[in-house]
Amino acid sequence: MACCNVETIFGLGNIGRKLQVFPSHNYKASVISCVAVGPSQTPQVPWKLVFHEKERSLLSNEKYGIYGGKFVPETLISPLTKLDYEFNSALRDPLFQMELEVTLRDYVGRETPLYFAQRLTDYYKSINRGTGPDIYLKREDLNHGGAHKINNAIAQAMLAKRMGCKSVMAATGAGQHGVATAAACAKLSLECTIFMGSLDMERQPSNVLLMKHLGAKVKSVNGNFKDAVSEGIRNWVNDLETSYFLAGAAVGPHPCPTMVREFQSIIGKETRKQAMEKWGGKPDVLVACVGSGSNALGLFHEFILDQDVRLIGVEAGGTGLDSGKHSATMARGEVGVYHGAMSYLLQDEEGQIIGPHSIGVGLEYPGVSPELSYLKDIGRAEFSSVTDEQALEAYKRLCRLEGIFPALESSHALAFLGKLCSTLKDGEKVVVNLSGRGDKDAAAVFNHTPKHE
Amino acid sequence: MSSAQRPDSFGRFGKFGGKYVPETLMHALEELENAFNSLAADEDFQRESSLFCEADGEGPLIYLKREDLNHTGAHKINNAVAQALLAKRLGKKRIIAETGAGQHGVATATVCARFGLECVIYMGAQDMERQALNVFRMRLLGAEVRVVHSGTATLKDATSEAIRDWVTNVETTHYILGSVAGPHPYPMMVREFHAVIGKETRKQALEKWGGKPDVLVACVGGGSNAMGLFHEFVDDKDVRLIGVEAAGFGLDSGKHAATLTKGEVGVLHGAMSYLLQDEDGQIVEPHSISAGLDYPGVGPEHSFLKDLGRAEYHSITDEEALEAFKRLSRLEGIIPALETSHALAYLEKLCPSLPNGSKVVLNCSGRGDKDVQTAIKYLKV
Repeated sequence: MACCNVETIFGLGNIGRKLQVFPSHNYKASVISCVAVGPSQTPQVPWKLVFHEKERSLLSNEKYGIYGGKFVPETLISPLTKLDYEFNSALRDPLFQMELEVTLRDYVGRETPLYFAQRLTDYYKSINRGTGPDIYLKREDLNHGGAHKINNAIAQAMLAKRMGCKSVMAATGAGQHGVATAAACAKLSLECTIFMGSLDMERQPSNVLLMKHLGAKVKSVNGNFKDAVSEGIRNWVNDLETSYFLAGAAVGPHPCPTMVREFQSIIGKETRKQAMEKWGGKPDVLVACVGSGSNALGLFHEFILDQDVRLIGVEAGGTGLDSGKHSATMARGEVGVYHGAMSYLLQDEEGQIIGPHSIGVGLEYPGVSPELSYLKDIGRAEFSSVTDEQALEAYKRLCRLEGIFPALESSHALAFLGKLCSTLKDGEKVVVNLSGRGDKDAAAVFNHTPKHE
Repeated sequence: MSSAQRPDSFGRFGKFGGKYVPETLMHALEELENAFNSLAADEDFQRESSLFCEADGEGPLIYLKREDLNHTGAHKINNAVAQALLAKRLGKKRIIAETGAGQHGVATATVCARFGLECVIYMGAQDMERQALNVFRMRLLGAEVRVVHSGTATLKDATSEAIRDWVTNVETTHYILGSVAGPHPYPMMVREFHAVIGKETRKQALEKWGGKPDVLVACVGGGSNAMGLFHEFVDDKDVRLIGVEAAGFGLDSGKHAATLTKGEVGVLHGAMSYLLQDEDGQIVEPHSISAGLDYPGVGPEHSFLKDLGRAEYHSITDEEALEAFKRLSRLEGIIPALETSHALAYLEKLCPSLPNGSKVVLNCSGRGDKDVQTAIKYLKV
């Protein structure tokens, strides 16, 4: 996977707008001679252009096993097909890739560090008879905007611009995707409308302010994230010509889950490279919180074919799996169709959606990514859950031990270390995706904390 | 005197700087200087922050040095990490610091958590009220936040209290000063720890356009982010250095923090420098909408560069800063700190005077998430 093995897949007459499968041995061209370089760009070989044959089945599928698909009204089939075509075309366009790479580096601030959490590692060793894994944190909290959401938002906003769209619509839960989308739209001078559930707006008011400052219109929708998504899609259908619906979660009809996963997969790619640099090997275990699954897939996707790497997703157990107030779709959900795709989802016996709950607002989604549903069924990925209380403990623990505020969502992944570390051998390498920073949650944690602390 | 020799062994930048401290602190300051001289920087927290450009139609090209992307959201962490390492080297177990807006306090509490050091932060009672969330964050990180009621209960009083604590506990305690102010060796040390900003900028400028920046712009409160950007280029005469201070309600209103424009030379917190004082030599209470620029003094090296004519210093009002805050958010999707917004506001006056294609690098010293509440009140978004 090193840069020097990249083969660029284009010939001079075929840049951009053709959707073809190029047999990679036919074309080997130098990028430098074909690409115009703007004033702020240094020519670099874009490493993203290679598609190995074995990846193809995972990459361009509408379905993952029985999951995924396009369960949408007829009016949406055409725009979704167009989106799929444009997306694939952009992936194969070296100009787009180069611009994206420069943007990710200079605007988003990539690559994010893979940070060895010494004190956290020592803490878990001290409660497990002195042995335990080495814990690394993938610092997605250091991205511009404070979460991994920007990786996807900026890439899709660039896609929207390329498609000639003038405005962008998006739905947001915790607000991180809303902020990332608003920032990307400001930068690319696109009009921006964000739909957010009224309950969520109350819980994350700082994010609402940020979106407004960035020039976005914020529309309140009665309910929470799932209602905001429904309203967002409803509005999009009214204006399919010039507006773009920017999905932040790895759910929805094809090609949304694939697109989001693809743009987030840079997390895993960097992790592989950094792991090689740091300890000359691969991670043994990857841990990430799972709401819809975007940050988890971003970390996992690179390693799916590496059978010796364990993939663990951690969902929101709310006030406990038996309380009925949680968001643990994999643990308690059943297969159904929601927001255009087939996947696991929290539903009652009549097939009505059960309202999810979690202290981590970004994890409150009754469905989950179709790709993750598939990985669960084939046994490739494991899923567990932690409660609100455990997540709050983990939040405070990381603050005290490493001076880092994790988002409450990411705190779920961190809390799982409590159960995980005692089962691992000394020196095994665990990488936890620190998907966002927790400044937005300080007030919530404050309200949950007894005053004498 | 070339920049390599600044400051001299007494900690002087020309007539500015020095060590105006009680005798009990002299030994500690010498010890600190020796430890600093033998320190190597820690790689783990060092991460290149990016140089981000937006090309304009006509006029200069504006690049932003993204210090806002640092952990904790400002340049302050560069200095906090390095000083915490220094403290460990000296065998100190306890850290104290002063803070105004809370950014330096949070950065200090962060590194103390990371390195397992006891941490006490002094904060004025007035500032604690305006920045309650930052207070909670410091406590979450395990630091003790001590309220200061003396004087006007703001940054300068917190600084005085911190120095008093240090004098009492100098054996066990290291004082992490947040800016390039205070007695020698602090102005030099803090500058050196922030100098990575300028070093990276030189390298990135060479990569991006094969040359140097033409103009460097940074906001000036105590002066740490500005020195961090400027220091690398002080000996490059063809690079203009521009510092932007806070003019608050306007320079003639008497409610501002434009020390280098309206101040006079005196001694404050251990160093000789420009400061805002009345005819009796009493400190004048400064004002700025941005807490980080709300300091009546300024780093001695800035005073020196001003007198030498090497750097220019201008000022920007609260209103102009808020406009700039809004502008960057809308045009680039980056919300700058209100402190940084002062530097951004100066671009309005600067750009028309520059030839087409000249390269301006502006230090985006911090992110503005902490300021959204304040801005909303004024901007009616």
